[in-house]
Amino acid sequence: GVTDVDMSPKYHFLKDRHVRFFQRTLQVLPERYASLETTRLSIVFFALSGLDVLGSLDVIDKDLIIEWIYSQQVLPTDDKSNLGRCGFRGSSHIGIPYSTKGPGVLHPYDSGHVAMTYTGLCSLLILGDDLSRVNKQGCLAGLRALQLEDGSFYSVPEGSENDIRFIYCAACICFMLDDWSGMNIQKAIEYIRGSLVSGWTYCAIASLCLMGRLEEALSPRELDRIRRWCIMRQQSGFHGRPNKPVDTCYSFWVGATLELLGVFRYTNFEKNRNFILSTQDRLVGGFAKWPDSHPDPLHAYFGLCGLSLIGEPNLRKVHPALNITQGAFQHLQQLHQTWRSSCGQQH
Amino acid sequence: MHRKTTPEVVSTSCAELEAGIQPRKLAMSGVEKTSNESPEVEDKNKEMDAEAEESFGDDYGVEPSQYLFYRYDRKEWADLEPVPQDEGPNPVVKIAYSKKFSDVYDYFRALLKKDERSERAFALTADAIDLNAANYTVWHYRRILLQALSKDLRKEMTYITNIIEEQPKNYQVWHHRRMVVEWLNDPTEELAFIAEILSQDAKNYHAWQHRQWVIQEYKLWDNELEFVESLLEDDVRNNSAWNQRHFVISHTTGYSDPAVVEREIQYCLQQIRKAPHNESAWNYLKGILQDHGLSSQPGLLEKVLELKETHCSPYLLAFLFDCYEDALENSKNTEEQERQETLSKALEICELLAQEKDTIRKEYWQFLGRSLQMTGSIPDSLTNRHY
Repeated sequence: GVTDVDMSPKYHFLKDRHVRFFQRTLQVLPERYASLETTRLSIVFFALSGLDVLGSLDVIDKDLIIEWIYSQQVLPTDDKSNLGRCGFRGSSHIGIPYSTKGPGVLHPYDSGHVAMTYTGLCSLLILGDDLSRVNKQGCLAGLRALQLEDGSFYSVPEGSENDIRFIYCAACICFMLDDWSGMNIQKAIEYIRGSLVSGWTYCAIASLCLMGRLEEALSPRELDRIRRWCIMRQQSGFHGRPNKPVDTCYSFWVGATLELLGVFRYTNFEKNRNFILSTQDRLVGGFAKWPDSHPDPLHAYFGLCGLSLIGEPNLRKVHPALNITQGAFQHLQQLHQTWRSSCGQQH
Repeated sequence: MHRKTTPEVVSTSCAELEAGIQPRKLAMSGVEKTSNESPEVEDKNKEMDAEAEESFGDDYGVEPSQYLFYRYDRKEWADLEPVPQDEGPNPVVKIAYSKKFSDVYDYFRALLKKDERSERAFALTADAIDLNAANYTVWHYRRILLQALSKDLRKEMTYITNIIEEQPKNYQVWHHRRMVVEWLNDPTEELAFIAEILSQDAKNYHAWQHRQWVIQEYKLWDNELEFVESLLEDDVRNNSAWNQRHFVISHTTGYSDPAVVEREIQYCLQQIRKAPHNESAWNYLKGILQDHGLSSQPGLLEKVLELKETHCSPYLLAFLFDCYEDALENSKNTEEQERQETLSKALEICELLAQEKDTIRKEYWQFLGRSLQMTGSIPDSLTNRHY
């Protein structure tokens, strides 16, 4: 796509505002954000990855945040009776006493959440952590406990809705831990194929890419149909479904899918950029889903990722399937190399 | 100062990773100020907070002074030691809860710790839900109590009905409803209830998911096509309704019966004549025909070419292109001249789309045209292998 950058003030990308937006997010949010309590670790991810895309991780204290993240890990108890409940929590809302090391404390209602395990691991990687304090056995056992007969996943062992979003989380976890014993891939692929009608195309395609099974699972014709479906989502920015309004975060969800399918370059970069920037909050930073709406961490993050995809200057590139910067991805690849070359060591 | 509209509750697709900011809860005293900002930014933050406060007439809205604290005012809770949230020395993304909020949740945590199964616990879950209906642990605990105390599930249906009416885009409330319906093994209220929610937002993804679940689980197919048609009467561009149409027919008569296919084609064309610029109708049409080959449906191409003159749209042209592409791919035995003509028509459509009718996708249509030209069909593998 050709970008003729519109130079009017409305379309200036206000990098510093966004850095401050994410800094504030990492500090304190007012009570009206209460509904985010159980998913706070994912908000941490948005802010950290956002700062990483902005090349501004230096503004935060990485070590302190790493400690907090590890304090959300649900570790195996001494007798390992809770292995199926291990992983990472979204926050301490259950009331577990703060601890960054094991053994796990048995509590009748404490368990990990698949999206928090996924965003927790990503956050650690972004901060340069080597994952050595992650209890991989626990995470993988916790993951296996969540998969259903039809291949989809619950988010928590107590049960929840089940759908492809959690397959994506599971795929990311297995990919990062370099261990696919956490899931039955075949069943997951069957479920993915069965659910392509829905709007969760990103989760489907990104999962298959992480598994290395994209072309095995989908025929060339099916892939072309998905390309067409996704490319039709562009109206200015992108929407998620026909006849729905465009929304900043879809510049990433759909854009990254198109990138994985090799055709993002055929989208209209200028219109996409102009829409994303029309949702930029010029005062407090961040992006909103629509123009003239309040910014929030999710849209702030995905707005940046959308801009990164089109090559906005001064933004780091994002790995479209794992949704972390290429820099963080390379750190992961180095970890994998280290793990694989340690013969006989369990990981 | 330019006023922002109060955001609709964060949409479904955003809502998983962000459970939805509730603009309506009062920001109570004790909210920590963030670090030094310019006056401009502080004003903006205040404006956002103020808008959030005034946008809501709700009630928990009891005056702070009338609120009965679990820890100070309710003697029947005196035996229980509240459990604060332990954020450690350096909390991240900390939420600044009011004393009232913390009061409820400190007692919730205390109940959880001892796994208390009691009426008072059950009553507290309602308070906790009122403060944060996205807390899945509260809902899970409430379900444990519903069973342990053999609570009246009909009353629970009423309760969850009301909550969903207030917060129809929350995952937990719909999951809870599904569990209660399963326990009662009674879906009889569902279709009417979901219809009511859809009357407020005809595209609510949660509502549609729940509807598909209940129909499939309890075999409630009979009147669904009629329901879909009434929604399409209201709004022929409702993509969810078109999706549901496909869902119903594929699970009932299926699309192998030529009479069904013919009826559906007629229905589509009729809707297209009424509203030509409607991607949903064209997607549906393509969806029901593409597995048998678009070019294999007799007379369809001619009808679409007719429509092109009076009811053109980018979707019609894309459909035509797909027909030509299918013809090229699937009639390899056709005379070379005919193939050349088909190819030429297909390329013409690409040009028309790229230059005039769908310019936002110009690069894509030109790419398709080039690919078709080179190989007679689109190359298979464009995927970025190094991902």
